Amino acid sequence: MKSIEWGYLIINYLFLGGLSAGLFFVSAVATFLHNGDGRHQRIARWGALLAPWPVALGSLLLIFDLGNWYRFYKLFLHFRWISPMSIGSWLLMLFTLLALAYAYSWLNDGERASLLAHVPQRLTALRTCLRDLSGHRRTLAALGLPLAVGVGIYTGVLLGAVQSRPFWNTNLVAQLFLFSALSTGCAGLMFAFAFSRQPMAAAELRMLYLLDICFLTLEFFVVLPYLVHSQLSVEAVRQSMHLILGGPFTFVFWVFFLWFGLLLPLGIEVGEVMPALLSKSGLHARKWLVGATAVLILSGGFLLRYVFVFAGQMSAFK
Amino acid sequence: MAKKPRRFAIVIDSKKCINCKACNVACRAQNNVPLAHSRNWMNEETRGTFPKLLAAFEPEQCHHCEHPACVRVCPTGASYQRPDGIVAINDSDCVGCRYCVIACPYDARFFREDRGVVEKCDLCARRIDRGEVPACVETCPGKVRTFGDSNDANGQVAQLLATRQYRVKKAEAGTGPQLYYLL
Amino acid sequence: MNRRRFLTFAAGGAASATLASTVSCLQPFLKKPATVSTRQDIPTTCEMCVNKCSIIAVVENGKIQKLNPNPESPRSRGMVCARGNAGLQQVYDPSRLKKPLIRAGARGEGKWKTASWDEAWNFAGEKLTKVKEKYGPQASVWSSTESFAETFFKSLGLAFGSPNVERHPTLCLASVNLAYSLTFGTMPSFDLANARYVIMSGANRLESFIMPDTVDLIGSTTERKTRLVYLDPRFTVTASKADEWFPIKPGTDLAFVLAMLNVIIGENRHDKEFVAGYTAGFDKLAEHVKAFTPEWAETETEIHAKDITRIAREFADAAPRAVYYAGRRSSWYREDFQFRRAQAILNAVVGNWDRQGGMAPNAKIALGEFLFLPWDDPQAARVDDMDKNFPLAAKGDGAYLKMRENILAGIPYPVKAWMVHKQDPMNALPEQAKTIRMIEQMDFVGVIDVQMSDTAWYADVVFPESTYLERQDPVEMLPGIVPVVVYRQPAIPPLHDTKPTLEIVQGLAKRLGLSQYFDYTIDQWIDAQVKVLPLDTPLEYLKHHGVWAPPDGAKFGATLTQDHRFVTKSGKIELYSERLQEAGYDPMPVYHTPMQPPAGSFRLILGRRAYFTQANTTNNPWLNTFAPENVLWIHPASAAQVGIEDGQLVDVSSSVGALHLKARVTQEIRPDCVFTMHGYGKRSKWQRLVAGNGASDAEIIETAWDKVSGGGAFHETFVKVRKA
Repeated sequence: MKSIEWGYLIINYLFLGGLSAGLFFVSAVATFLHNGDGRHQRIARWGALLAPWPVALGSLLLIFDLGNWYRFYKLFLHFRWISPMSIGSWLLMLFTLLALAYAYSWLNDGERASLLAHVPQRLTALRTCLRDLSGHRRTLAALGLPLAVGVGIYTGVLLGAVQSRPFWNTNLVAQLFLFSALSTGCAGLMFAFAFSRQPMAAAELRMLYLLDICFLTLEFFVVLPYLVHSQLSVEAVRQSMHLILGGPFTFVFWVFFLWFGLLLPLGIEVGEVMPALLSKSGLHARKWLVGATAVLILSGGFLLRYVFVFAGQMSAFK
Repeated sequence: MAKKPRRFAIVIDSKKCINCKACNVACRAQNNVPLAHSRNWMNEETRGTFPKLLAAFEPEQCHHCEHPACVRVCPTGASYQRPDGIVAINDSDCVGCRYCVIACPYDARFFREDRGVVEKCDLCARRIDRGEVPACVETCPGKVRTFGDSNDANGQVAQLLATRQYRVKKAEAGTGPQLYYLL
Repeated sequence: MNRRRFLTFAAGGAASATLASTVSCLQPFLKKPATVSTRQDIPTTCEMCVNKCSIIAVVENGKIQKLNPNPESPRSRGMVCARGNAGLQQVYDPSRLKKPLIRAGARGEGKWKTASWDEAWNFAGEKLTKVKEKYGPQASVWSSTESFAETFFKSLGLAFGSPNVERHPTLCLASVNLAYSLTFGTMPSFDLANARYVIMSGANRLESFIMPDTVDLIGSTTERKTRLVYLDPRFTVTASKADEWFPIKPGTDLAFVLAMLNVIIGENRHDKEFVAGYTAGFDKLAEHVKAFTPEWAETETEIHAKDITRIAREFADAAPRAVYYAGRRSSWYREDFQFRRAQAILNAVVGNWDRQGGMAPNAKIALGEFLFLPWDDPQAARVDDMDKNFPLAAKGDGAYLKMRENILAGIPYPVKAWMVHKQDPMNALPEQAKTIRMIEQMDFVGVIDVQMSDTAWYADVVFPESTYLERQDPVEMLPGIVPVVVYRQPAIPPLHDTKPTLEIVQGLAKRLGLSQYFDYTIDQWIDAQVKVLPLDTPLEYLKHHGVWAPPDGAKFGATLTQDHRFVTKSGKIELYSERLQEAGYDPMPVYHTPMQPPAGSFRLILGRRAYFTQANTTNNPWLNTFAPENVLWIHPASAAQVGIEDGQLVDVSSSVGALHLKARVTQEIRPDCVFTMHGYGKRSKWQRLVAGNGASDAEIIETAWDKVSGGGAFHETFVKVRKA
């Protein structure tokens, strides 16, 4: 009996996991490119400090989605490489731990001291761990980068590896989710900057925009073959595509995800960045536009997963 | 010559099925399945205009595939396949992620909200281990299902598969189903 | 964090992951500790319908886990149907009767007070005695449906002094039994496993009932050995499997049979040797059927003449392995008896009597009889006056609807007490309003049942019987082509304060001063029954096997000898019946065109589904799930005609009542008929799944009965269908 097993808890987790992966990724890139110096310092630091929390929340959602949530530890008693969910659970755990360590490494001395002050004296083991890690930022970024990419990709593999759901069963889904995740990471930072009281530096906006343009473009060029190739595939796949070609998810997919969530923000970013690149003048950051563009991208990221999780479960071989 | 390992399969002669629901109730009784779900189900086809009408009935349950997708995707190994081909679930290891429910091409699995685990037809493994046949096979007035070891050349299943035309469902999903429908 | 520490962590993590995965691989092979189970396999007999299949109750730790088929019974063909499997639910039904109940409010109000058995017996005994004193013992009716223990209940009524024993055949198969009995001297069985050509009018063997005939038919038709021609106004499961299905106009089956006789006799295709040797009245029959041509039958039945002719020829050619199946529930039309009689005659002239693949008289196994103290026969005549109204019918079964009519009119004498056993007349009888009036004019109504039926709901006292899985019943012999003796023993002791029928009867008998007639135990009764069986230790055998069949299997031809005398007036198979003629009925079937429903109205026809035993099991949750409510089947053209759509609530009314049902607009029924399932819209609030859910057809079916047998005729009602 076909049933919809995975709903909003899973959709939110996929979005949040991707968001964390993207935040970490952008922060890591910023750290490598400029060794965390002035120019992209804020991107690196904010990205690092924000990264662990969406995935931590998402993981909680995942745990509570389980039939018996208190059995979640069993996921870590086994490692089955043929199960995307097994790999994913381990990846998630390792990534979250590492993202926490990375975030901690970006705390300045004052913040570290006040954190230490909240740790009871008795927990000496914990206090020893809470040393100054700020010197290891690059190392942590390097270690975390493959994990972040892993988290971003595996959410797509989770769906793509299911041979019985024609809507999902393509390797493009992994790419799609990865680029979408990285893009939401950029958007997350754009959103944070837009709402901070500090002014936005042209340089950091330029970096975010350029990165995001890459990610969105790549994402678009995965969506395109996904749509085209599906029409050239077996009947079960063609039939499943009907869900977004006339079926219940058509409007959400084309209008809210593809247009408002991908192409429009891409156009805005290109429109903003192009003149600056061509004339070599600085970007004028209008906070409201940056914020609005970020919201569009974040919504798009969420809706992509919304469409895929539901439509996939509704598709089948006849 | 070494004896081949047992591999259980069911051959179904849908022509004989009259949709009497005996197999559905027998399974429910045997396996304490709550009313909200069923481990086996009926595919009904009705079409035509009076008086040229058709009604056909085709029972279905877990296909106990050769390459079960549900076993592959299970993160804890709670879903496993016995050496005799029966795909079973180890309740105590199931965390209730329902990945297997989604992975099954036949929608044979369901989630038990009351117990937080996934459940499906296990060919009445307890009965088989006692030398009996699954409840659905035994109870049927029309003897629609033939159950047995497909590796036993002298057995009924092998005989039927060797001498009759048959089809399996959703072969293109690639899981190697072991529920054979006689044509 | 330095490099060394990182590497340690990494290596440690990888090692633990590998170990964990190795451990998980081993898990399926770890043996679970063996649990000691107290499993018992107890052979017994099912009571979910009248087929009485042999089952084995699997009892674990004192709870019935499953009911499995008993492969030793040739009768049940190694199967257990849906309702057989659902029998567990009857035992563990939380709303079943658990203690005796005495009415505390008005009849039908549903207010009860629980009573002890003594209180209940005393109450009933008092009321019955009062009625006996004021009106005489004949002022009571004792109605029951067949069961292994029915004999005790009937005996109580007779010992009480009442001739008014009413049994279920008068609502079910009275007409078909009588028709075949008057033709052959007995009602035979049909060898569907070996028949090569089967014609069925209704009977819907593949859907309405799961019995050996069902199993045999599935096997023989799907293996292409048997050709099935099926006549039914509805496209049923049997229709879907039949080689040919004709949506015959309802009420015209007799025309079809007469035309077949016309062709077969006219073309000399009948079995001349058989007819000459074993039948009487052929010449009269040949003359009689000359008028019933296929062309004439086409105008009546709406089946093409050429098809009728062809089928008649094919039927005769396939004989003696050709049967016109008699059917079971024959409560169809006022003329039903003559239709079944025509079938019997047709079967006779093609010579399929007592032959493999044809019909066979039922073989029996002799059972001993317990010699109980006999009582004086009741003095008064029956209230339904069978002798006068239905002189040829089975007197011991009565004529239920005539009885009700007389009771309501108070003729020939008042009837003021009603005891009911294992029956639900509120739903079994048509025109429910009259049943309620009959109840209302009673001084006393007592019901013995396992669940709170609608009739129990209106009773003054309800006696809870133990379910069939909880009691020891008398041994029963099932006649048939292969007869069997079946045994019923408890799988578990009674869960609640319930008793088996014999003990309930004994308690009543004591209060009525009739103890001496019931002064025995069930074990004594059974001992006397099994003593005569050709087994060394019959009781032990039955306890362990649950069923016994004579080893020689099916035998045919015993009656086909020169000197065999059929139990008929002439001693032969009567194609022409003098007894019918003398009693004032047509000695050979005469056809009357049935009335047609006026515009905007439709004929209401009934039918069964094998998971519902009449109105009995619709509340069983494992069965109710297949059809939680009943709906009205109506053809799309008819629906358009009266302006209703699929799923819409419609008003269905007849001259005696009205009800609301959802419409099911379907191609699967003739445009001039509508259909609905039986057993819904209950008044008994204890039957929560069907109380107020759907509607009871008993409310709108008009009272009508078959002229010769007095059996109910339930397809004579025209209903108006409108938007609700």
